[in-house]
Amino acid sequence: MSGLTVFLDGKPVTLAELPLKGGGQAAVFPVVGDDGIVVKLYREPPGPEQERRLMRMLTMSPLVTRPTDASQPPELAWPTALARGSQGEFLGYAMRRFGEPQHVQLIGLFTRAQRLKLFADRADWRFLLGVAWNLAFMTARMHYDNLVIGDFSSSNVVVDANGFVTFLDCDSIAFNDRVTGELFPCLMHTTDYSSPERQAGGPATRATDEFALAVLVYQLLTAGNHPFGGVPHDSASESTVKDNIAASCSYVVRPERVVIPRGTIDPSVLPPELLALARSAFGPGVHDPATRPPAEAWLRALDKERALVRVCPGRPLHAFGSHLTACPWCARAALTGHDVFNGPAAVPVPGAPSQPPVPGEPWPTALKVALLILVVVILVVIAANA
Amino acid sequence: MHSDYPPTLPAEYADIEFENNAQRLPLVLCLDISSSMAGQPIQTLNNALAEWTRELHDDVSLSYSVEVAVVTFGGNGVAAWRGPQLLAPRAPVSPFVPAHMFRPPQLAAAGVTLMTEALELSMHIVAARKAELRASGLQYYRPQICLVTDGLPTDATGHLTDSWHRLVPVLADEQRARRFRLYAIGVGGITDRGEQVLQSFAPKFNARLQGFPFRELLQMMSASANAEQKGAGDEVFEKIFSQFKTQRPAWES
Repeated sequence: MSGLTVFLDGKPVTLAELPLKGGGQAAVFPVVGDDGIVVKLYREPPGPEQERRLMRMLTMSPLVTRPTDASQPPELAWPTALARGSQGEFLGYAMRRFGEPQHVQLIGLFTRAQRLKLFADRADWRFLLGVAWNLAFMTARMHYDNLVIGDFSSSNVVVDANGFVTFLDCDSIAFNDRVTGELFPCLMHTTDYSSPERQAGGPATRATDEFALAVLVYQLLTAGNHPFGGVPHDSASESTVKDNIAASCSYVVRPERVVIPRGTIDPSVLPPELLALARSAFGPGVHDPATRPPAEAWLRALDKERALVRVCPGRPLHAFGSHLTACPWCARAALTGHDVFNGPAAVPVPGAPSQPPVPGEPWPTALKVALLILVVVILVVIAANA
Repeated sequence: MHSDYPPTLPAEYADIEFENNAQRLPLVLCLDISSSMAGQPIQTLNNALAEWTRELHDDVSLSYSVEVAVVTFGGNGVAAWRGPQLLAPRAPVSPFVPAHMFRPPQLAAAGVTLMTEALELSMHIVAARKAELRASGLQYYRPQICLVTDGLPTDATGHLTDSWHRLVPVLADEQRARRFRLYAIGVGGITDRGEQVLQSFAPKFNARLQGFPFRELLQMMSASANAEQKGAGDEVFEKIFSQFKTQRPAWES
């Protein structure tokens, strides 16, 4: 059975009857006979501003100068065509498909069950660090291109088996059209990743992206822990991540203020330089956007650490920062019985024939070099413009 | 506050509670399994639960924070289920199961419609779960309770009763205080009077649907849970609900 027919650049395509996923505002449909693209349709008639925004986006091709090879997906699911109805009315847009199982929402890395199910023997701490690097790189590149992500969360970024990331909801990106001077604001946000000024109704800015990036990087490096988790000792009744953000109450900076859930991973698994960035983002940076670490600062600190990651000989999937002398995951498993990276059955028995192979280098060397050169170039350009 | 469900967890779930500090989203399915649901309707409900469970397991976003409890009313009274397992009354175990471990119960239809008592039990387990989460330092989103019925509230002997009136002010207070979001859905041959009961329970989120569209209903619950995770405003929930209610998306109108 098939569903609606829409027109992409005047060509009719038939959509699947059921959407891949639907939210309050829009739903994303597969296209019958074309696995390469999907069409996002708005639930309410989207209005002339949104149509104008997408028309302008179609004239732009951000991040194309970035070196890439066939193994790396683009970092943005950029619109490829407007979707119109039979009367020419604007309904939505088409983009490349980044679907499961090849592309998984970032949030899939935040629980052990999903990590093991979706990434098998790949998602150790080294992998998480690499994803964080890619995320910081994507953010730096978008800011360099004058794009503000705006609605930046663990649900609208997908990650593939090599740790490469793609941002999905490009139609909400905030940007200033260089050709026409038009300003397109971001009207969406996800509260658990929203800085206080954004929660209060302020516009999306680089600084609000930097807040979301800090939260996401912290979550990756702690295998899923939100830095604003925990219930404050003095909270009246209901307490949420959103409340803790608004009150600048993070256990990473002020552990004494909250009841910390017993499963929470100690922030000290972060190497000192990264922990210092986190403390500045979740301390003074909460209410003072100017003190939030920029994406380049995260990128530099993550990059240093990538070459130094240590691998634990004791158990599979145990990798950790070079600042630690012993495996923190083994220590935790010994103390609590809970292994953050291995399921209860996955722990090797003594005398078992062999361990699973160590996953290959997630970034081809040539690409790595090219990316590094580009980062340096960007940093130089940024420094020159500063 | 006192809780009939102290934070003792069966061994198989202890590891899950330990997993991370994700903000939790408790979801209660409060289901009518009285005799009028016998035959095709209960079969449809069981199938829909099985299919929804598969979708829930595959949804990486929902499985991060949703936890599901089932309350049923039928047979001789009301009951709470922990996944497929029927809990004894006052059992010292929480009926909430993390989404990725949830397995649906196999429901059979019989007996009376203790709708009032079932809603009271639903509110009770939600309050107890909140207390338990808070004590562990875990945050929670606004819980969702979904009442589904094809009939009118009865007493334990199967006679129609007006005892549900006592719930109306309680539910109004609780919903005003944003303690949970209540959805009240009438299915099958529910009467005008039955619909009026649902309207007074859930003035915003009530519906009277043709047949037994449990699939769509459960998908609506997932969509609302997603919106809750995103921190959406009330208007988004109303939009999702009205689309579900009219049983067709806006682009087909």
